[in-house]
Amino acid sequence: MKLTILIGALILLSVSAFMGETQLDIQKILDPDAIEYLLFWDLRAPRVVVAFSSGAILALGGLVFQAVFRNSLTTPFTLGVSSGATLATAFGIIFLPASLVAFSSIFSFFGAFSTVLLLFLFARVLNTMQTGSLLLIGIALSFFYSAALMVLYYISDLQQSYSIIRFTMGSLNVVGFTHVYAVIAAAFLLLGVTLRYKHELRLILTSYDNAFLKGIEIKKINLILLFFVSISVGVSVSVVGPIGFVGLVIPHVIKLIYKQSSDKLILPVFFYGGVFLVLCDLIARNLGTVSEIPIGVVTSFVGGPFFIYLIGKRKNSNG
Amino acid sequence: MNLNIDHLHTDYLNDVSFELNNENMVILGSNGAGKTTLAKAIVNLKENDRIFCNTKKVCEMSSELRARLLNFIPSKLEVFDEYIDVHEFLELSLLNGTSHGEIEKVLRLLDIEHLAHKSCKEISSGESQLVLFAGGLLQNSELTLFDEPTANLDSDKKIKIFELLKRHQGLKLVITHDLNLAYKLGFRVLFLQNGTVTYDGSCEQFFDSENLFRLFGDSIKRVDDFFMVNYR
Repeated sequence: MKLTILIGALILLSVSAFMGETQLDIQKILDPDAIEYLLFWDLRAPRVVVAFSSGAILALGGLVFQAVFRNSLTTPFTLGVSSGATLATAFGIIFLPASLVAFSSIFSFFGAFSTVLLLFLFARVLNTMQTGSLLLIGIALSFFYSAALMVLYYISDLQQSYSIIRFTMGSLNVVGFTHVYAVIAAAFLLLGVTLRYKHELRLILTSYDNAFLKGIEIKKINLILLFFVSISVGVSVSVVGPIGFVGLVIPHVIKLIYKQSSDKLILPVFFYGGVFLVLCDLIARNLGTVSEIPIGVVTSFVGGPFFIYLIGKRKNSNG
Repeated sequence: MNLNIDHLHTDYLNDVSFELNNENMVILGSNGAGKTTLAKAIVNLKENDRIFCNTKKVCEMSSELRARLLNFIPSKLEVFDEYIDVHEFLELSLLNGTSHGEIEKVLRLLDIEHLAHKSCKEISSGESQLVLFAGGLLQNSELTLFDEPTANLDSDKKIKIFELLKRHQGLKLVITHDLNLAYKLGFRVLFLQNGTVTYDGSCEQFFDSENLFRLFGDSIKRVDDFFMVNYR
């Protein structure tokens, strides 16, 4: 089972850049003068790489958050990180002069990042790293941001509202490799940090008391993990928008396939998170509709039912 | 090792003070007397600044040093991830120089080798108590605090735990309800009532009939070397 999936995933990754609305003549890809060259290297390749890196970040972020918050429904999005990014981007779209609207992605990064800072500040002021209360603060922040976003919709014109809505659906339309490097770097930074704290993660996966008694600085480890997840999610959201469901579905699916504790699933979750988003993007690009379907719609359509199916299956096998 | 509890106050404890000098102890007391709270305060799971270990404040120690000196074995096994098995759980206790091979040894010692590759969530409460106990032996801190180590066990397992508490290396502080266990262990006894220490002294004097009557009234009856609940 694992091997079949791995082979399927590798095939998918290697062919996905070649599949799309326009058939590409493979020989022309390496010819810098051909239109295929541009199409492949400026549009398709960066798109696949961004999809893979973002998917990897969201899935691994979900895995880490679920361990730290000891709640299998938690993802970075639950803490309001994506809502923060969305709000800031909407702000950028409305208030930046038309010539600078392209920079609204910088806004979204700072939106995500300042949400994280705000969360840490609350945690300090309330003198609690109790994950339950931090989670509630995150949910409250999300609602607050949603309300503020409504206000922005209300004062924006039609064109601006449309841009904001499109952003919230997520989009992998990247051109060239400039943004791509940031997402790749964020993905591998997160992977490195998580692998570095693998042992601590396993202790957290037993219980906080147990981790404490084994000599782990829980507060410090939690802060480090949450910080790096949030930074990389911030980078990802700023480039592709908030894409839901990956962080929730992938860790669970991988857990059901591998049947191992989360600390051993860091690499598979990272890898298949990436593969999942590449697959969803492939579907979005190849449905043959006039314009492509937003990626967030596809992830939810694919992820939602599959997730429910898995929960049902798990319940049966447990008796 | 010297452990000094210096005027500890918490929600449940009221000015608790005592000192341990390289000795074992049993903490007795009725339900809700504050026994577990006291143990958690000693290892700083319940944060406070009134505990000194070798004259250093426990709350100011590095986590590594604290884990080498003090360990607490709760009465219930709590594991969040369903795929962590018993062997993997015990691996996490190998921190004070105990080697991998010790895990098998301890599992054999407690007769639970068959649990090694079962999920920590699938085993019974008695079994999980033995697993926790095994973890305590493996971590091998200088002082280990056991919270009701025999509560859910069959009599043969109780005897096994008793023997290990008696002869295994390292200092122990045992919380229990079981007067017979306390009597047979013979450790110094601390008795807690409503968060206050009402007896601190030798085992022998604790089980003196006058003292027993003072603490328990006539609800405990001594029959030879055993202590029975005196149902009327």
